[in-house]
Amino acid sequence: MSPRLARTGWSLLAWSLILLVAGPLLWMVATSLKSEDEVFSLEPTLLPVEPTLEHYAVLLTETAFPAYFANSVVIATATTTVVVVLAVLGAFSLARFRYRGREAIASAVLLCYMLPSVVLIIPLYLLMVRLGLANTIASLVIAYTSFALPYALWLLRTFMAAVPVEIEQAALIDGASRMGAFFDVLLPQVLPGIISTALFTFILAWNEFLFALVLVNADDVRPLTTGVMTMLVSGFNIEWSLLMAASVMMSVPLIIILAFLQGHLVRGFGAGAVKG
Amino acid sequence: MAGIELRALHKRFGTTDVVRGIDLTVPSGAFLTLLGPSGCGKSTLLRMLAGLEAPSAGQILFDGSVVNDIPPGRRDIAMVFQSYALYPHMTVAQNIAYPLRKRGVPRGERDAAVARAAEVLQLTALLDRRPRELSGGQQQRVALGRALVREPRIFLLDEPLSNLDATLRSHMRRELVALHRRIGRTMVYVTHDQLEAMTMSTHVAVIDGGRLQQFGTPAEVYRRPANRMVASFIGTPGMAFADGMVATGRLLLAGRPLALIGAPDGPVTVGIRAEDVEIADTGVAACVTDMEAVGHETLLTLSGEFGTVTARAPADCRLAPGATVHWQVRPAQLHLFNPETGDRRNAALSPITSSNETTAP
Repeated sequence: MSPRLARTGWSLLAWSLILLVAGPLLWMVATSLKSEDEVFSLEPTLLPVEPTLEHYAVLLTETAFPAYFANSVVIATATTTVVVVLAVLGAFSLARFRYRGREAIASAVLLCYMLPSVVLIIPLYLLMVRLGLANTIASLVIAYTSFALPYALWLLRTFMAAVPVEIEQAALIDGASRMGAFFDVLLPQVLPGIISTALFTFILAWNEFLFALVLVNADDVRPLTTGVMTMLVSGFNIEWSLLMAASVMMSVPLIIILAFLQGHLVRGFGAGAVKG
Repeated sequence: MAGIELRALHKRFGTTDVVRGIDLTVPSGAFLTLLGPSGCGKSTLLRMLAGLEAPSAGQILFDGSVVNDIPPGRRDIAMVFQSYALYPHMTVAQNIAYPLRKRGVPRGERDAAVARAAEVLQLTALLDRRPRELSGGQQQRVALGRALVREPRIFLLDEPLSNLDATLRSHMRRELVALHRRIGRTMVYVTHDQLEAMTMSTHVAVIDGGRLQQFGTPAEVYRRPANRMVASFIGTPGMAFADGMVATGRLLLAGRPLALIGAPDGPVTVGIRAEDVEIADTGVAACVTDMEAVGHETLLTLSGEFGTVTARAPADCRLAPGATVHWQVRPAQLHLFNPETGDRRNAALSPITSSNETTAP
């Protein structure tokens, strides 16, 4: 096979993979812009013939979509904040302090992450009821924190362990306190790790469905995932156009965040100032 | 400026004793080198001086006051790490300014101090760069700058030159000596490189197995090594050792008299430095088993009935491996050690001449 043919082959493969991933997304956007008639027309159209934003308008003005959206923002932001703060401090301890049981804790954390979250659903539900937190935003924040925190701890611990301890020691000698050295020197080094952790947590909290369905059964605290479903999907009918428009709007925040943070994720990697 | 005193300093990691009771007093303004092979405890010792490790027992005193419980930031010290440990996300200027910033020095003063340090270390053109954009030698100078800027009372340097190439290393060696002379602060320098120790220090502490083997000026340590470990560690090529015997006032090697000696009878280890071995027409017969041309001279390995010694010969030496030569050494230049403890033994040595040959007991 000539190199040229091989290159063409690889390109074809790559593009078909992209199509496979992006196809449903494009279909979703296209459908959300079609009129109700066009969605169900017997000769399906690839692109909307007469693009319309009416479904978006309906969602934003006539439904509880904005409220669900606000709930989701609160839940995802709160979870991300709690997870990042706890994980950064916990990982610092696991990476830098010597104490009995440190490795055991680290392994236990990893074990927690390996546990399928479905097995936690009943205990967590009962726990929330006992705590009087059922049907609250807090219950979801706590539940998501419990899934995201182990992974976040593990990831950040690895990031911190890779930073040479000498630069913190240099900061200590240069007059920084322990926490000063942590903030001035270590934190900037693990920023890419913190951003990945935040992204991971935010996406998890934003997209989560099952726990939201089980733990929250009141309309005023429902997040987007379950809210949109209960609103638009019933036993008799699925409001496809609205569902697609809702799906597009649900994806927008993630797309914006990813676009912003992608650069940060890559930056900082390979920035070594320590030789030897 | 501060003198340093160590009292029975001990450090244990788990069940391993890394530093085993070191007593040492270093005058203020000294350039002390902690010299020893890897793993001898010298870096741990330095880290205890810095406050990065707490001693398991014993005391560290700066200027007569115990600093054991004082955190690193308040010991008024600066340290240059082997890895330089520059802050990767800060520019050169921010790196150098950091110790001042942490001590609340106002901005203007800080900038002036950074500019001064950069001037001294020829870093002025690099102040806006980040560490990863610098060469090893430049990074090293930034690390020095960060140490210098605050003018601490004690400088700690942990093998700061080991990552530099040979040319830069000898250049920085001279720079450091000049710097020490200029600022006159106490410096503690850790290295396993005896050349650095000999050329830079006012005082050398040879450490092995967590114990202080010898403390003195470079010349003392070289000329009168306190034990076999120090003798073999210092000097290139290494000192050759042979098993000797003192019998009726004579030092015997392989049963043959080598010198007259004022010491009681018994076994003794004889140490011979390469520069003391002279190739001569008469003397101990030996075979040239190896030759190493190192440029300005040739090192000969001589094997004979006295065991193996190394000798220095001119670069244009015409001998070939396998040749038989004779060598001599002046008795006063021999080093004697206790064969069991390895400790130095001092004894008057004098040549055996035809005049005293017959009168010797």
